[in-house]
Amino acid sequence: MKQRIGVYICHCGGNISDYVDVEQLGKLMAKENGVLISKNVMFACSDSTQKEIEQDIEENKLDSIVVASCSPKLHTHTFRNVAIRAGLNPYNYTQVNIREQCSWAHSDKPMDATIKAYGLIRAGINRVSYSEVLESLEISAQKVVAIIGAGVAGMRAAVDLARMDNQVYLIEKGNTVGGHVAQAGRLFPTNENGKEVVDRLYQRIRQQSNITLFTNATLEKVSGSIGNFWIEVKLGSEELKLNVGSVLVTTGFDFYDPKEGEFGYRLSDRVITLPDFNKMVENSKGKLIHNGKSVKSVAYIYCVGNRQSKGENRYCSRQCCTAAIHSSLHVHEKFEDMTAYHLFRDIRTYGKQELLYQQSSKNGDIYIRFEEKEPPVVELKNGNPTIKVKDYLTTKRELTLDTDLVVLVTGMVPRTDSNSVSSKLKIPIGIDRFFNEIHPKLKPVETVIKGVYIGGACQGPKNINESVQSALSGAAKINATLKSGNINLEPIIARVNADSCLWCGKCAEVCEYDAISSIANGGKLIAEVNKATCKGCGICAPTCPSNAIELAQFTDNEIESMIDGLMSKAEISPRVESQQNNQKAGVQSLAGYPKIWRTIANALEGNTLTIPQIAEKIDQEASLVTWHLMTMNRYGFVESAGLNDNEDYFMYKLKK
Amino acid sequence: MSIDKTKYDALVVGGGIAGQEAALSLADMDYKVLLVEKDLSIGGKMIHLSKVFPTLDCAACITTPKMSETARHPNINLLLNTNILEIEKDNGIFSIALTIRPKYVKEDLCTGCQLCEWVCPVIVDDGFNNNMVGRKAISIAFNLANPKVAAIDMNHCIKCKKCEIACVPKAIDYSMQPQNISIETKTVIISTGFNLFKPENKPQYGYGKYPNVIDAMQMDRLIAPTRPYNSVVRPGDGKIPDKIAYVLCTGSRDTSIENAIGCSVDCANNPICSQICCMYSIKQAQLLMGALPLADITIYYMDIRAFGKGYEEFYQQAKGMGVSFIKGKIAKITQKDHNSGDLILRYEDVTTGTLKEAKHDLVVLSVGVLPNNEIAKVFTNQKLELDDQRFIKQVDELLSPSLTSIEGVFVAGTAAGPKDIPDSILSAGSAASEAASYINNI
Ligand SMILES: Cc1cc2nc3c(=O)[nH]c(=O)nc-3n(C[C@H](O)[C@H](O)[C@H](O)COP(=O)(O)OP(=O)(O)OC[C@H]3O[C@@H](n4cnc5c(N)ncnc54)[C@H](O)[C@@H]3O)c2cc1C
Ligand SMILES: Cc1cc2nc3c(=O)[nH]c(=O)nc-3n(C[C@H](O)[C@H](O)[C@H](O)COP(=O)(O)OP(=O)(O)OC[C@H]3O[C@@H](n4cnc5c(N)ncnc54)[C@H](O)[C@@H]3O)c2cc1C
Ligand code: SF4
Ligand code: SF4
Ligand code: SF4
Repeated sequence: MKQRIGVYICHCGGNISDYVDVEQLGKLMAKENGVLISKNVMFACSDSTQKEIEQDIEENKLDSIVVASCSPKLHTHTFRNVAIRAGLNPYNYTQVNIREQCSWAHSDKPMDATIKAYGLIRAGINRVSYSEVLESLEISAQKVVAIIGAGVAGMRAAVDLARMDNQVYLIEKGNTVGGHVAQAGRLFPTNENGKEVVDRLYQRIRQQSNITLFTNATLEKVSGSIGNFWIEVKLGSEELKLNVGSVLVTTGFDFYDPKEGEFGYRLSDRVITLPDFNKMVENSKGKLIHNGKSVKSVAYIYCVGNRQSKGENRYCSRQCCTAAIHSSLHVHEKFEDMTAYHLFRDIRTYGKQELLYQQSSKNGDIYIRFEEKEPPVVELKNGNPTIKVKDYLTTKRELTLDTDLVVLVTGMVPRTDSNSVSSKLKIPIGIDRFFNEIHPKLKPVETVIKGVYIGGACQGPKNINESVQSALSGAAKINATLKSGNINLEPIIARVNADSCLWCGKCAEVCEYDAISSIANGGKLIAEVNKATCKGCGICAPTCPSNAIELAQFTDNEIESMIDGLMSKAEISPRVESQQNNQKAGVQSLAGYPKIWRTIANALEGNTLTIPQIAEKIDQEASLVTWHLMTMNRYGFVESAGLNDNEDYFMYKLKK
Repeated sequence: MSIDKTKYDALVVGGGIAGQEAALSLADMDYKVLLVEKDLSIGGKMIHLSKVFPTLDCAACITTPKMSETARHPNINLLLNTNILEIEKDNGIFSIALTIRPKYVKEDLCTGCQLCEWVCPVIVDDGFNNNMVGRKAISIAFNLANPKVAAIDMNHCIKCKKCEIACVPKAIDYSMQPQNISIETKTVIISTGFNLFKPENKPQYGYGKYPNVIDAMQMDRLIAPTRPYNSVVRPGDGKIPDKIAYVLCTGSRDTSIENAIGCSVDCANNPICSQICCMYSIKQAQLLMGALPLADITIYYMDIRAFGKGYEEFYQQAKGMGVSFIKGKIAKITQKDHNSGDLILRYEDVTTGTLKEAKHDLVVLSVGVLPNNEIAKVFTNQKLELDDQRFIKQVDELLSPSLTSIEGVFVAGTAAGPKDIPDSILSAGSAASEAASYINNI
């Protein structure tokens, strides 16, 4: 049991303290068994607080710490590092989440939020008092990377990984490289040709002797874990087993395939998708010809298969507005007297792509805006399309358009086989059904499986530039991980008690990661946990009939003590306004400060007033009074005295 | 003054989210990095923000650990309050001349206790809070600054010596001088970020004239946990707003900007879209619905550009919460009645084709992204090219997004064009990968 516990309860700048009475909790926790220090801090994660905790650990020889702030997903590593720097074992630290689980979840009931936080923090203290010293597991790692999918994203990452001295296996299921870009003609924004871009990239791959490209390769099975994955690949009749340290998944996307009858698709050959249209534009010379007929007018219908507020694909495919407009520019440049109608919802030519939109408008392209609730209707007479649409740009006027072609601006959808890829690699799928990163800002290319990264459009719609940037980010992360040849792994894994284990095999049956096998030990078989493969999910522990397998940091002692902590009755009293704001100020004099401060202070002497009232009283602009009063508030000369009767202004009083 | 030229693998210029990410990525690969920031703290624009779309995480909660990791990384050296004077390339090595501006506070002694700040009688505009409130002539840049060290604003200091007396560790030193140093590096990463459009340049919107017309950065401050006021109130008179308008595309997608305030060439006409303002406005609207449940919020837009992962869903969520979206171009904003401080927005309602007027008590101008390209001038014997919009030019946009016109110089984040935080971070990772590949093959 720990006897020198430090407890840090965070305000999170109001995120927590606006609802949870952190000051009171701080005082209550100071009385808990084993707690030596209990403090309230403004931002636990800030640099200055980190230093303060380190200092406390060193000076008071703390044997464990509890930080009650936000989700452990955010800051576990931050505070583990604090512990390490101060010479404390990082596993003698417990994170308690009183933000997502208390203040944010129960902002309507501050008292209950405080009571819940009380239980959670006590549980944390109890748990940390049983915490053990654990050492991270060091394993050696192969400086070898498997990249699944040789589109632009995968190819480009291969080049840099190879240039950073990693051996690369580039695994492509098709018989050519380049993915969708290899099929594309002229590309935005540089007007390069898709095939040429892929050729250029392919030349760079050829220059790297440490890249091995497999085409027509099928990903069969993946086992192992970071540092030592085994990738089984089928090449025709041949089977390969590759030992790699890390995996980058760049399997890209599929074009949305409109349903039969969706805007007349498949009912007339004059309704086609944007990728097919692009090919036609690329292949036509002098005149735009479709099935032998010359095309003079085109209607583009945007967001087909996307932004369906009630349908399957709620997301926006990000690059299709620009792709369609870019095609239209290309058509205008290549063929004479073309008419283009763009039936859109919002034009999303973000950033510099806006210039393409402007150019298209200058070319005389006609833009017609519709809303999801009133989409255009394509009617077919003898295969000739007529579009009826209400134009929200001109008082919802009903328009009828007869065009030679209707181009469906289709977006991106996840690959049809992405489920099979995700289940082999255990990558989670998001609600949009693309692969999911851990966090868009903190870990944008990492997946929950250590050592498995995602890049390019398999993670969600992206243009080429964005796909390449995300794949290269993955390359940078992978190189940093593999560079030294060693990887440190979490010691929070299952462990077996050799005495009580009878090797019934129940734990091995439930383990999703195949981490448990049997081993001979003292004349009997017992379970053995593969340390690198075990993910610490804990599913094995409750299945063991003889209680012989447990998870480090989640032992029975720890869990039971947490339950005790949660069950304990809270003696929380109603909140008293905190004193912590700038106590020093009260004694300050206003001498030397701007004159208007003294005028404002005089006006407030014995009064509580709103800003317009002060302004009127001292005959100054209300905006000037606001600026000064807020500054006085900040430095502790005045404070808020609640709302006025109309509840539209705060009143202020002098701070005594 | 040190004469010994310290040698680095990489110099990262600018400590916003992109610069931090690039520096950390390279440092994690065991390269020695010097990160140079012109301001008093790293953090860039992101540390000013409240919560960030599309996940609505608190910006400080995501940035501060990153700042702290950057400041502590054994492979990263940090220089703050520092200007780059010259970058010269010879035989593939960059020689950099730098000057560290004095803070008049000794960094190694200052504990960040703020005793000096309490006693200083001189009040100046608080830039961190976009001048909506004052601070002292000596202060810590902001609560979460890293490093947390005080600095004196010598333009306003009256040398009353109160701070010197109050400072227990005796950190104040009025005689500090700028310090010039030079270093050598193999690569340079430009992550100098962007400038915000100055709304004074759109005089018909009344910014600077009517106190209740604010820009979006000011609104992000008003709703941040480290906000300047005790609640969301109007800077004009402290009123709790209940009818808030957002004017999207202020200073973006606009070729009629006349540069009324005569700043440099990069703040007049701006034909491109700023890529972030639709989304940050929707974010602020959602946060305001939480802070002021009774307020009406109207967003006047041209197109809603909710294009990223989860963004369209975020937009639909705002609609579901009751934020009004009106497709309309704002022609003029006027304040009819000085006492009420309320504003009249005249606009063309695109859907009905009519000219309309609406009254709001607070107007937020969703200002756009302009290039910050000053750094191009310090290259003496090489030319760092700019693109047509005067962002740092990406010479191989499709296949090597971080390459610039100078071999060995890479660009990350918004220095190359508008980007939100997730995209800035990815572009920084990509710059780190390209820089590391380059160093490895010199
Ligand atoms: C109509 C349209 C026009 C476009 N025009 C442009 C443009 O002009 N400019 C621009 O910047 N962007 C454009 N884009 C976007 C561009 O196509 C994508 O950004 C780019 O293709 C993404 O590259 P990627 O490598 O991630 O994916 P992909 O191109 O989809 O490549 C993925 C690769 O992985 C392989 N693969 C998939 N699954 C497996 C598996 N299980 N095992 C092995 N290999 C696998 C595939 O065969 C493929 O080779 C356009 C998109 C569309 C829809
Ligand atoms: C009001 C507002 C709200 C926003 N909200 C969101 C949001 O919710 N979600 C989201 O994803 N994005 C949001 N953004 C966008 C976000 O701010 C940017 O994507 C991000 O800050 C870009 O980071 P950066 O590092 O490229 O640039 P910056 O943040 O501009 O950082 C650049 C850094 O470089 C320094 N610097 C500049 N020049 C030099 C020089 N010559 N020498 C040394 N140092 C230099 C600067 O001082 C600064 O520290 C918002 C933007 C605004 C304006
Ligand atoms: S990019 Fe444009 S066409 Fe594509 S889904 Fe988004 S709004 Fe629709
Ligand atoms: S010497 Fe300058 S900074 Fe210090 S207290 Fe006086 S005015 Fe403020
Ligand atoms: S992101 Fe939205 S508000 Fe910003 S410039 Fe683009 S369209 Fe306008």
